[in-house]
Amino acid sequence: MAIHKILFASLLICLLIQSSHAATKERLFSDLEKSALEDTATPSRVGEGVGVDKLSITWKVSSTATKEPEFKAIKVKLCYAPASQVDRPWRKTENELFKDKSCPHKISSWSYDPAMKAGQSFDYTLERDIPTGTYFVRAYAVDTKDHEVAFGQSTNEDKTTNIFSVQAISGRHKSLDIASVCFSVFSVVALLVFFVNEKRKAKIEQSK
Amino acid sequence: MRNFQRYIYATKNYSENLKELKAKRLEKNKTHVLCQEERVFFSRLLGTIMAHHNEDEGSIGTSMHGVTAREQVFSFSVQGEDDGPSSHTVRFDDPTAKFALPVDSEHRATAFKPFSFAKPHMRAFHLGWISFFTCFISTFAAAPLVPIIRDNLDLTKSDIGNAGVASVSGAIFSRLAMGAVCDLLGARYGTAFLLMLSAPTVFSMSFVSDAGGYLSVRFMIGFCLATFVSCQYWTSVMFNGKIIGLVNGCAGGWGDMGGGVTQLLMPMVFHVIKLAGATPFTAWRIAFFIPGFLQVIMGILVLTLGQDLPDGNLSTLQKRGAVSKDKFTKVFWYAVLNYRTYVLFLLYGFSMGIEMTINNVISEYFFDRFQLELHTAGMIAASFGMANFFARPLGGYASDISARFFGMRGRLWTLWILQTSGGIFCVWLGRATSLPIAILSMMLFSVGVQAACGAIFGIVPFVSRRSLGLISGLTGAGGNFGSGLTQLIFFSSSKFHTADGLSLMGIMGMIFTLLVAFIHFPQWGSMFFGPTSDEKKSKEEHYYAAEWTEEEKRQGLHEGSLKFAENSRSERGRKAASDGSSPSTPPENGNPAHV
Repeated sequence: MAIHKILFASLLICLLIQSSHAATKERLFSDLEKSALEDTATPSRVGEGVGVDKLSITWKVSSTATKEPEFKAIKVKLCYAPASQVDRPWRKTENELFKDKSCPHKISSWSYDPAMKAGQSFDYTLERDIPTGTYFVRAYAVDTKDHEVAFGQSTNEDKTTNIFSVQAISGRHKSLDIASVCFSVFSVVALLVFFVNEKRKAKIEQSK
Repeated sequence: MRNFQRYIYATKNYSENLKELKAKRLEKNKTHVLCQEERVFFSRLLGTIMAHHNEDEGSIGTSMHGVTAREQVFSFSVQGEDDGPSSHTVRFDDPTAKFALPVDSEHRATAFKPFSFAKPHMRAFHLGWISFFTCFISTFAAAPLVPIIRDNLDLTKSDIGNAGVASVSGAIFSRLAMGAVCDLLGARYGTAFLLMLSAPTVFSMSFVSDAGGYLSVRFMIGFCLATFVSCQYWTSVMFNGKIIGLVNGCAGGWGDMGGGVTQLLMPMVFHVIKLAGATPFTAWRIAFFIPGFLQVIMGILVLTLGQDLPDGNLSTLQKRGAVSKDKFTKVFWYAVLNYRTYVLFLLYGFSMGIEMTINNVISEYFFDRFQLELHTAGMIAASFGMANFFARPLGGYASDISARFFGMRGRLWTLWILQTSGGIFCVWLGRATSLPIAILSMMLFSVGVQAACGAIFGIVPFVSRRSLGLISGLTGAGGNFGSGLTQLIFFSSSKFHTADGLSLMGIMGMIFTLLVAFIHFPQWGSMFFGPTSDEKKSKEEHYYAAEWTEEEKRQGLHEGSLKFAENSRSERGRKAASDGSSPSTPPENGNPAHV
C-alpha cells in the first residue's frame, strides 16, 4: 500500500509541475516586430570552408522601429533556410519562440544603447561545428527580461533571397584513418594467431 | 589396488560396471580418487565406448546447444537403471574435487555464485555476459551521438531511421547462424570471432562521410549482436539444467544493459574528447574507438581466460566423444511446423524489438523534444536500458510464480499483462509533454516491456523439446525483426512526429500482444480454454513424443523428451499437486533463459 501512495503522490507532483510549466510559454514569433533591424550578410571565400571562411555581417536599427526604447541587447544568429529544414524535424520553424529550432547557432551579441542606432558591422568566422546547408542571418532585439521584442533578417519573409550555403568540415583526419586501420588489422591478426596456434596445439596433442 | 582387480572381472558386463560406479559416485561429497592403473583402465574402456557411439554423430548446427539450455545432453548422463543406448559412463579420470563449484555428472555447475570468477564455470559466465554487453554497447553507440552525427553527415530523418533499422537487421541472420558456428568452433571462438571481426567495423566509423556510409557501418556492426547466442550456448554447457534459467536470465539481462550504458558512456567520452581539444565532428569519430577497444580486449580475454567446456577446450576434447546430435532437417521441420514458433516470433518482436527501437531513438527524442544537453538526454535514455538489470529476471520470476499457481495459463496471462502494460506506458510516453511525466512513463514502460521479454522465455522451453534450441534462436531473431519493422514504420519518415511514432508503436504492440491468446497447449490449455478433454492428447508425453517418428521412438531417441514431459507436469499449476500423478520434482524451470 505504501508504494501505491508514493506512486500516486509522485504522479500528482508531476502533473502540478506540468501545469505550472505551461503557463509561461506563450511568446510567439509572430508577435515580434518585423524588420525593426536591417541585416546584411555577405559571405567571402577566403580558404576552404568553415573555420576559415568569413561572413561580413552588418546590422542597424531601421527607422521604422517602434519598440526601440525596449532594446537592451542585440543577438545575431545563423538560421537555416527552408531547403535545409526538409525532412529534418529538429530544425523546424515553430511560432512559439521557445520551441523554434531554426536559429540554433549564435553568432554574437551586443548590449545595446541608443547611441548604437547606426548599427554595427563585423566579420564572423564560421564555427567548425556548423553543418552543411543553406543559411541566412537574423538579429533579435531583446529587452531587459531577455525576451525577444523585435527582429530583422538578411533575407525576405519567404526566406528565398540572399541565402548562402555552407560546406561543413568532414571531421575526418588522416591520422584517425590510419589509427583505425591499424587497430582493425591488429584485431583480425590477433584472432588468427590465436586460432592457428590452438589448432596446431591440438594437432600435436592428437598425434601423441 | 584391490578395487582394480574387481574391475578387471567386471569388464565383460559393462552395465554392471556402471552400477558399481554409480554406487560409489552417490556417496555424497566423496570422490574416488583413482590410482594410476584404474585411470588407464577407464580411459581405455571409455575410448572403445566412444568409438562405438561416434557413428551416430549428427549434423552440425542441430544442437543450438541450449540456446535456452534446457536440453538434456544425450551423452554423459547417468540415467536410471534403464540405460538407453544413449548413455555413457562418466569420465573418471577427472575427479570433480578440482572444480571450485559443485558439479553434476557432466561437470556442469549446480550452483551459481555471481561474485566468483572461478575457472571454468563462473569465468565462462562473466566472460559471456560481458562480451554480450560489449556488443550491445557497440551496436547502439551511435544512438546518443546522433544529434552530432546528423549535423556532420547532413542526415535527414529517413537516413537516421534507415540506419537504425539496418543496425538491428544484421543480427537476424547472424543469430540464426551462430548455433552452427558454436557447434563447429566452440563457444570461445564463436564469441571471439564475433567480437574481433566486428571490431574493425566499429573502427571504420572514422571513415564515414555520408548517409550511405553511416548506414553500411551500422549494419555491419549490428552482426555482433549474435553474441547473445554464443553467451547462452556457453552458459548452457557450463551450468546444470536446474539453475540454467536463472543463469541465462542474468546473462541476458545484464548483457542487454549495454544498450542503456552506451547512452551514458558515449556522450561522456565525446565530451571528454571535446575538452581535450577536438572539434565535435572529429570527437564523435574518436569516441567510437572506445567500443572498438572494448571489443578487442574482451575478445582476447575470452580466448586466454575462457574454456569451451568444463573439462577443457573443444579442440583438445573433440575426439573424446561428441555430443550425440540430432538431425538438423528434423529439428528444423518440427520447429517450422509448430505454429507457436511464429506467435512467439511476433510477440518477442514487440517486446525485445520495441526495447531495441527505443535504445536507438530515445536519446535523440529527449534531446530534441525537451531541449536537453546531450549528456542529460543520454542519462535519461540510459536509465531505460539499465532497468534490464532487475526487470528481466523479474519477468521470468513472475512467470514462474504464476505457473506455480495457475500453470501454463498463469504464464500466458502474466506475459499478456506485462506486455500490454508496457504498450500502455509507451503510448503515455509519446503523449507526455513535460519532462518529469516523460521520464516516469518511460521507466514504467521499460519495466513492463523488459519483464515481458523475461516472461516470454518462461514459455519458450515448453513449446518444443526437440527443436528447443532452434525455436529459441528464432524467437530471438524475432526481436530484431520487430525492432527493424517498428523503426521502419514509425521512425524513418517525417510522416509522424517522433512522439506520435512512440504512441502508435505502443498501440501496435498491444494489438500484437493479443496473439498470446492463440497459444494453446493440448495438455494445459490456453488463456481462455482449458486442456483438451481427449484422454490421450491431454498427456504431456503425447505432445512431446509427437515430435519423434515411430522409427526414432523404437531407437529410444525420445527418452529425453519423455523425461522432460514428466518434469513439465508442474505446468498444470495447482492441479498437478492435487493430481498426485507425477513426482513433482522441482522443475528445471527456475528463471528461464533470456535473450
